[in-house]
Amino acid sequence: MLVFTLRRLSLFIFTMLLLTLLSFSLNFLFPGETIINLTGAINATPSQLIELNDAYQTHRNIFWQYITYLSHIINGDLGLSMASQSDISTEIVTLLPATIELSLVALFIAMFIGIPLGFLAAIKHNKFTDNLILSLSMLGYSIPVFWLGLLAILTFSISLGWFPSAGQISLLFEIKSVTGIQFIDILLSDSPYKWQAFIDATAHIILPACVIAVAPATIFIRLARTSMIEVLETSYIRAASAKGLTFQQIIFRHAIRNSLIKIIRHVGLQFANLVTIAMVTEVIFSWPGIGRWLIESIYQRDYTAIESGLLVLSCFIFIVHILTDFIYAALNPLARGNKYGAR
Amino acid sequence: MARDKIYLEEIFPSPFMQLWLIFRKTPVAMLGFSCFLFLIVLAIFGPLLAPHSPVEGQLDMLLLPPAWHIDGNVSYLLGTDELGRDMLSRLMYGTSLTFGLSFIVVIISLVIGVIIGSLSALTSGLKSSFLNHFLDVILSIPSLLLAIIIVAILGPSIGNTVWAVVLVLIPQFIHITRYAVKEESRKDYVLASRLDGASPFRILYYSIFPNITDRIMGQATLAQSAAILDIATLGFLGLGAQVPLPEWGATLANGLDLFYIAPWTVYLPGLAILFAVVATNLVGEGIRHALKVRKER
Amino acid sequence: MNYRKFITISLLSLLLLTACNEEGKLSLSERSVIYCAEGSPETFNPQLVTSSTTIDATSNQLYDRLITYQGNKNTLSPALAKSWHVTRDGKKVTFYLRKNVVFHHTDYFTPSRFLNADDVIFSFNRALDVEHPYHLVSGGHYPFFQNIGLSKVIDKIEKINDYTIRFHLSHANNSFLANLATDFAIILSAEYAEQLTKQKAKSDIDTHPIGTGPFKLKEYRVGSLIRFYRHEQYWREPAQIEQLVFDITPSNTGRLTKLLAKECDVAAYPIAHEKITQHNDLRLEAVTALNVSYLGFNVNKAPFDNKLVRQAVNYAINKKTLLEAVYQGKAEMANSILPKTSWAFDQSIPKQEFNPVLAKRLLTFAGYSKGFSMDLWVMPIKAPYNPNAITMAKLIQSDLKRINIKVNIISNESNTFLQRLKHGEHQSFLLGWSAEHPDPNNFFTPMLSCSATQTGTNNTFWCNQKYDAIIKKALQTTNINQRKKYYAQAMAILTQEVPLIPIAHSKRYQARGNNVIGNILAPFGGINFYPVTKRNLTHKKTAIEQSLPRKRNNTLNTGVN
Repeated sequence: MLVFTLRRLSLFIFTMLLLTLLSFSLNFLFPGETIINLTGAINATPSQLIELNDAYQTHRNIFWQYITYLSHIINGDLGLSMASQSDISTEIVTLLPATIELSLVALFIAMFIGIPLGFLAAIKHNKFTDNLILSLSMLGYSIPVFWLGLLAILTFSISLGWFPSAGQISLLFEIKSVTGIQFIDILLSDSPYKWQAFIDATAHIILPACVIAVAPATIFIRLARTSMIEVLETSYIRAASAKGLTFQQIIFRHAIRNSLIKIIRHVGLQFANLVTIAMVTEVIFSWPGIGRWLIESIYQRDYTAIESGLLVLSCFIFIVHILTDFIYAALNPLARGNKYGAR
Repeated sequence: MARDKIYLEEIFPSPFMQLWLIFRKTPVAMLGFSCFLFLIVLAIFGPLLAPHSPVEGQLDMLLLPPAWHIDGNVSYLLGTDELGRDMLSRLMYGTSLTFGLSFIVVIISLVIGVIIGSLSALTSGLKSSFLNHFLDVILSIPSLLLAIIIVAILGPSIGNTVWAVVLVLIPQFIHITRYAVKEESRKDYVLASRLDGASPFRILYYSIFPNITDRIMGQATLAQSAAILDIATLGFLGLGAQVPLPEWGATLANGLDLFYIAPWTVYLPGLAILFAVVATNLVGEGIRHALKVRKER
Repeated sequence: MNYRKFITISLLSLLLLTACNEEGKLSLSERSVIYCAEGSPETFNPQLVTSSTTIDATSNQLYDRLITYQGNKNTLSPALAKSWHVTRDGKKVTFYLRKNVVFHHTDYFTPSRFLNADDVIFSFNRALDVEHPYHLVSGGHYPFFQNIGLSKVIDKIEKINDYTIRFHLSHANNSFLANLATDFAIILSAEYAEQLTKQKAKSDIDTHPIGTGPFKLKEYRVGSLIRFYRHEQYWREPAQIEQLVFDITPSNTGRLTKLLAKECDVAAYPIAHEKITQHNDLRLEAVTALNVSYLGFNVNKAPFDNKLVRQAVNYAINKKTLLEAVYQGKAEMANSILPKTSWAFDQSIPKQEFNPVLAKRLLTFAGYSKGFSMDLWVMPIKAPYNPNAITMAKLIQSDLKRINIKVNIISNESNTFLQRLKHGEHQSFLLGWSAEHPDPNNFFTPMLSCSATQTGTNNTFWCNQKYDAIIKKALQTTNINQRKKYYAQAMAILTQEVPLIPIAHSKRYQARGNNVIGNILAPFGGINFYPVTKRNLTHKKTAIEQSLPRKRNNTLNTGVN
């Protein structure tokens, strides 16, 4: 486990270096002056500019510039947004939790729908149910998410009136942001309407989370199906059935556990995919998360915000990636010895 | 002159041919394949076949519903948008933009990816390990996010979208080629020709490539469906094709304001995207299925 | 068995919970109104802007004026001033302030005194007096005041006593009172300004507003929401609703979706009118707004420095299709900048004909027989005078193509757009003007006078001495027929010179759920949430507070002089 941890840690550091290097070089690639792209101080007076240049050591060579840039990031200084002139790190701190919340809910929905369906398809391998589930999953990952979102709003918000169409919570509830994760904030707040707020927030998250969940759920169907088929063909399952265990016992006691482990491995990769889908969905459902903010920053050519947003988002994705690797390794001792890169 | 076969020849179809023989027998895959061919034809000839201009509208034919609707007009089969532009023509032109471009994108990134991938498969040591890590980082960032980054640097336009998606797809091809080449070169027949004294490039070209084309094609269909979705999504977000280009995603975004008055301006482009992606995925599915069957034989 | 019991109990308790909550939630939404607004305000001080989005979010909600317009006719009625008096020569205007008017009590300010003359003097001097300590705070631009040249009209503002103030005018000006009743002439708190000076946070006066209006600001998140709470000590009866939320939704479809999904009670500038009228529980309403949308030329730039070219373009644009495609036939074609509903409108102004042949001939005369290419600047957002400037631009593009003019449409985000227009970087542009009060001068001076080229509301940079002289004369006459004649002359000059092509006078639309009661749209364009209530709220209230409406009438009656 130690070797495994070290290996992951080195990969993590390598990636962080690469990502910061990328975002650092973006400052030079974007149009406009580097120092302004770096800090977002578009209204800076000449004397302020000199100070900023000093703070970012622009007179020294590129290596030192990068080092000072890194130290600024580690201190949580991501500069100012060019569009609103507010501090980007505080903005991200309020926005990122909303995205995490939405993505996590979507991930759970995707897993709760996808994995059982996948198992079902594997058990009924090559039968009608299998084909039906497979065709549905094919449709699910072919649908463009923005279109699906629109259809969902039209059906469930407008025609049926079941769920609200936009936002995180009805604006009438005044919830103070403490952790940024809406549900926790509601529980922490002392509003007299706590429980209504909670129910309202639940109603708000269902539709976007389901829309996001569709594509990952189809992937989970496939993964679960493949891994279950593989497990069902193993010798220990055959041994179990030879021992006279019923089919249900075999499935619930042996097959599901063993095939789940293989799926967890992919959750991290899927999460990255899911976050991208969430970005587009946030735009459609006006979800106050980092994806919508990032896309709006692109419209406004707010380079400082784009650069920091990307950095934070990709770090976040990568951290989740590594975390799932750890969980996988903890659950499955076999994986720890595997050489890096082997799949 | 035809002559009878004297010897009982045993024909070994090439791996690719074998694949096709299996592929042909799956009806769903063939259906997808014909839809795919149809889209390619439309992408090439669509602009010639389109009945109206996709950019200039008839000002007296605003927001006409599709022909089957009671207020529809047969000469505007799928209705018109708020500027009186024929939806059918816009969708046909859109085929060459969204589907056609995605096809080109995949070919470019395939060529580049395969070249880099096979070269890198020949390397080893530190260089190889660095590349491994690098690829892993890139592959862990979702393609759409990467494409958005690149468009943010280059500025929104259809040309930049194409470059962005090309760049995004290349690592996937590198990865699969590299992996496939490494796997193949461990096999005995490669060893045999190496013992014969063939140069690495010769081995690569004559021995390995014929055996990995199918896998790369499988990846290409995956890449194509991702490319269609990425181009359309960027268009929808206003980061890709700009007005008045009839790219499907952009057309859909343009229809958003008319969603409640003229729902067909939103439904139709969405259906078009769905159709293209499903067709592509069916082909891909067919290829993967055929690969599996061939392996099992 | 245990499981089942547990599940039943938890389900039951959940049901109970939801039941209680349903009731509570109703009461919260019953006591509040959510308004889907089309954009974020730039500031919370209407003195600083002309944009209708900002005015909507601030003027009538947060502030009061000395006097205000009453009803559909343009009669003035008392507000913070309970009465006023104008001397016979029209040069001295005295206001008698209402007593016991309380400013907002918020997290950032606690008023210690009632409104008095100091607040009024502070508010006007801030905008008018260049030396005033607050004049340069937030940029020092007071477009409305500068356009009408109020600082030249007012010689001095004199404090007679704590509740009496006198304006000394340099000359009689018959739109003076009307100007004081506009959405811009709001009253700020001098005490709050003092506190901010001490705290060295002067600019907070425009971002953390304090006024006397029916609502006070609670929370503002840029691009997302504005939350107002009721001002409990409002000098009239407090507003019926407790909370007012502006849900900022720039997307047209987004606003309609939220309205249809009942996520907002009232929506600004709705699209798809048929869809709204189909719904039984939604209502579409409109007021004739005093506005005009137009295609303006930069007369400093070739080829539009040539009158013939401007006339040619005027003949080549088919306004009828523009009205149909852009306004869906729900606007009036504009013959001049002044709407036909204005008393000063001259019926004899000829209707502009659509004549591409004549247009081409004019172009040949002007030496552009081969045509030319031009840039047309548009703003991509929905404005009260123009629901879709981009579509309009595209239609104009195809119209002008017929006379060989190639139009490049350049679309800019609204703030940059207005900034760059001010600097004259454009060749031609699509814009509009919404008048803030019904006086016709509110069209002629800010849109096309020479002084307005400096303040950024006349972006054609057209400056005609004859026109300016006529407008000035019109302002100084009290004889209404004489004034009408002057304005007719001014309109005739515009028809000849074509510094801009007036296109349409549109109505301002708004959609709301049927459970929202009370007028929101003010007769001349702005919005006001003070009279608004919800159906269930009134049912409950009428039982308890039957006597209150009468009391409210009393206050109003004492005010009328």
